[in-house]
Amino acid sequence: MMVPLDTPMPRSQSISMASVFERYGLMIFLVVLMTVAALASPTFLRPANLVNVLTIAAPLGMVVVGQTFVILVRGLDLSVASLMATVAVLATAFKATTNEAIPMIFIAAIALSAVVGLVNGWLVAKRNVSPFLATLAMMIILQGIRFAYTGGAPISTLPPGMGFLASGRIFGVPVNLITLAFLAIAFGIVLHRSRLGREIFMVGSNPKAAFLNGVAPDRVVILCYVICSVCAGIGGLFLLGYVGTVSNWVGQGYELDSIVAAVMGGVALTGGRGNIFAALLGVAVLVVINNLVLLLGFPIEMQLIIKGVIIIGAAAFYRTRLA
Amino acid sequence: MSASVIELSQIEKDYPGVKPLDKVDFAVRPGEIHALLGENGAGKSTLIRVMGGVTKPNSGTMTYLGKPVSWQSPKEARAAGIHVIHQELALFPELSVAENILVDTQPRGMFGLISNRARHVRAAEILAQLGVDIPTHAKIDELPLADQQMVEIAKALVGRVRLLILDEPTAVIAGREVDLLFENMRRLRNEGVGIVYVSHRLEEIFEIADTVTILKDGQLVGTSPVSALTREEMITRMVGRRLSQIYPPRRTAPAGGRDVLTVRNLKAGPRVRDVSLNVKVGEIVGVAGMVGSGRTEVAEAIFGTRAVESGGIEFDGKPFETKLPKGSIAHGLGFLTESRKDDGLFLGLPISANIVAPDLDGITKHGLIDRKQERAVAMRQIQDFSVATPSPDVKIGNLSGGNQQKVLFSRWSRIASRLLILDEPTRGVDIGAKVEIYRIVRRLADSGVGVLMISSELPEIVGLSDRVFVMAQGYVVGEIKCDALGEEAIMELAVRSVGHREAETDQRAEPVG
Repeated sequence: MMVPLDTPMPRSQSISMASVFERYGLMIFLVVLMTVAALASPTFLRPANLVNVLTIAAPLGMVVVGQTFVILVRGLDLSVASLMATVAVLATAFKATTNEAIPMIFIAAIALSAVVGLVNGWLVAKRNVSPFLATLAMMIILQGIRFAYTGGAPISTLPPGMGFLASGRIFGVPVNLITLAFLAIAFGIVLHRSRLGREIFMVGSNPKAAFLNGVAPDRVVILCYVICSVCAGIGGLFLLGYVGTVSNWVGQGYELDSIVAAVMGGVALTGGRGNIFAALLGVAVLVVINNLVLLLGFPIEMQLIIKGVIIIGAAAFYRTRLA
Repeated sequence: MSASVIELSQIEKDYPGVKPLDKVDFAVRPGEIHALLGENGAGKSTLIRVMGGVTKPNSGTMTYLGKPVSWQSPKEARAAGIHVIHQELALFPELSVAENILVDTQPRGMFGLISNRARHVRAAEILAQLGVDIPTHAKIDELPLADQQMVEIAKALVGRVRLLILDEPTAVIAGREVDLLFENMRRLRNEGVGIVYVSHRLEEIFEIADTVTILKDGQLVGTSPVSALTREEMITRMVGRRLSQIYPPRRTAPAGGRDVLTVRNLKAGPRVRDVSLNVKVGEIVGVAGMVGSGRTEVAEAIFGTRAVESGGIEFDGKPFETKLPKGSIAHGLGFLTESRKDDGLFLGLPISANIVAPDLDGITKHGLIDRKQERAVAMRQIQDFSVATPSPDVKIGNLSGGNQQKVLFSRWSRIASRLLILDEPTRGVDIGAKVEIYRIVRRLADSGVGVLMISSELPEIVGLSDRVFVMAQGYVVGEIKCDALGEEAIMELAVRSVGHREAETDQRAEPVG
């Protein structure tokens, strides 16, 4: 009559393994990827190739720094790529051929970005528009403005110094990497050490509780969108320096790549959890994958397929971790 | 004695770190209403889940209608005639009453398609059987909560039900609806259905149940006929200690002197019509009343998250107008909200961040968080409030409900130097943590903080308060002083006043309509 039911589940051991994997999983994955790349192609570890990879990674890294802020407060910003291109077009609008214009270009780019971020943030925080819709609309509007100005033709009237942003070096270190490091550390301190950063985590974790504890969630959310846009704007200028000419599609695909990198780096789309430096590790993984596909001589479309598979893998990984 | 409908023997359930069921025996006979009693965390819900096929026990045996069974899914248990009505209603709010009642067995018509007409006919039959009059075309979210509960019960009557399990069905209904529910339970009992009934309201158990099984900390305390136990004995068995040991002694001298909070004729939204109350320095003032009587809304108006239409709030004798929590916090006011998870905790953040949340000023230097100081504050609070955790860096989501609640107390009591508002301060915590929380509240009051405590648990209101205000339908309908304090006195006020107010509102409404 007696029926034994299922046996007790094992515990404790698997938990600690999981936590190690949770903390260092992405880093282990990156090392594995790089090893595979090095074995697959002797070119990979050559300094020239590595510098090339990092140079490509830098503007994306800048966007990811900003995107992380927005995702932390339960949002996302689809307008970053469109903003990058618009900033690039704005840079040509000065029709400058000398380097004196560069500071002006920077100031104008940051100002435009800040306004875009303010509008995004205002729509999301004050008007309760979903981040997806608000930033999608912003993406389209920026695109329209850009097209109206350029008439669709590429422009290359740029101060010669802009190229320095992409290929220049200071003490042998690429300028764009120095800038990325500076942005990452500065915003890393803001996010992980400052009072504002704490408020961002509180709002992302539980907006209602944050409000009841004396935080102004709307202000925090708007600030995050402004930070995101400003980072994207700066990224746009560096990308422009890399590309050299301005087409209407500079930076295309960066909106999704930046979200993918952040999510791979463990920034939770549900908000309140993530780390800037881990998100940048996500960028590294992404660009190494792209590079690997090229080195192996696969068609470029493979990049997309592999990227997609990895997103699903990352999502499933974080999903099970939460369960 | 007839054979059992269901018989569980030596059931055990293990989760890492907790053991919600430890070798429990439980049996329900046909035609019996069997009450399941125990504090939160005693294992009642787990036991119900085991019977309903939601949870698989780690060991032990289950016999249903004479045959050994091991449910693979809730569906299997339901097909065999076990129906569970959970605390949270499992209804589809967008669908009609009929669609919900027949959710598992949609009647088929021509070509095997679902027949809408047959569905409404069948649903109406079942509702008539229950003796309730609910339109079958109505959408669930258009119905009052009590009717929704009835729909949930109607679902149980669709198939052949042999074992009906009700998990706190009276939490959301009152008065006539409870009578109707009990009537139906008795009818089912006479038809030979075995019924398991979970409720915290002891009065109901004496009214309806034949047998009672008491659980404590996952272990069986005992099973006996209801008539063999007194109320006192039940409580003592349930909590494992006598009532007198649960609540800290009241202050010897009644709180005298100044009001820390005075509310006069407050009007704020539809749920706060006319509220006057006061809290003195060092006093614990209870606010009792039915769910929905406006208690929480009063707290929100005081704390500054609900717009005040008219009336006055005075704090330390000075008019107090807050628009935001920030200002209230700065004045030494704390508000421990009702729902820990929804608006209290930052679940993904460490304990330390949760403790210092309303006091970021205190740990910020030049715009940066002073982590050393934050840690020091957190360690001190963890120790003072005996929160069980290895470190302040642990995510608060990993703590038990009781420990989470203690963290919230440590958060608010640190900054609430003048007044602490508590909304359901012991919801979902076990008795051990409750006792600790009661001591914390008394200690706070003794240190000179005024405490305004909203609670639906009458024993808690009676056991802890120095004075009680009773609310009904947005009005304060009475004040009960310490010496007259008792559950009956409160209930009488709350219930009688409801009828009174209703009559009054009707009269007033007529000339307008």
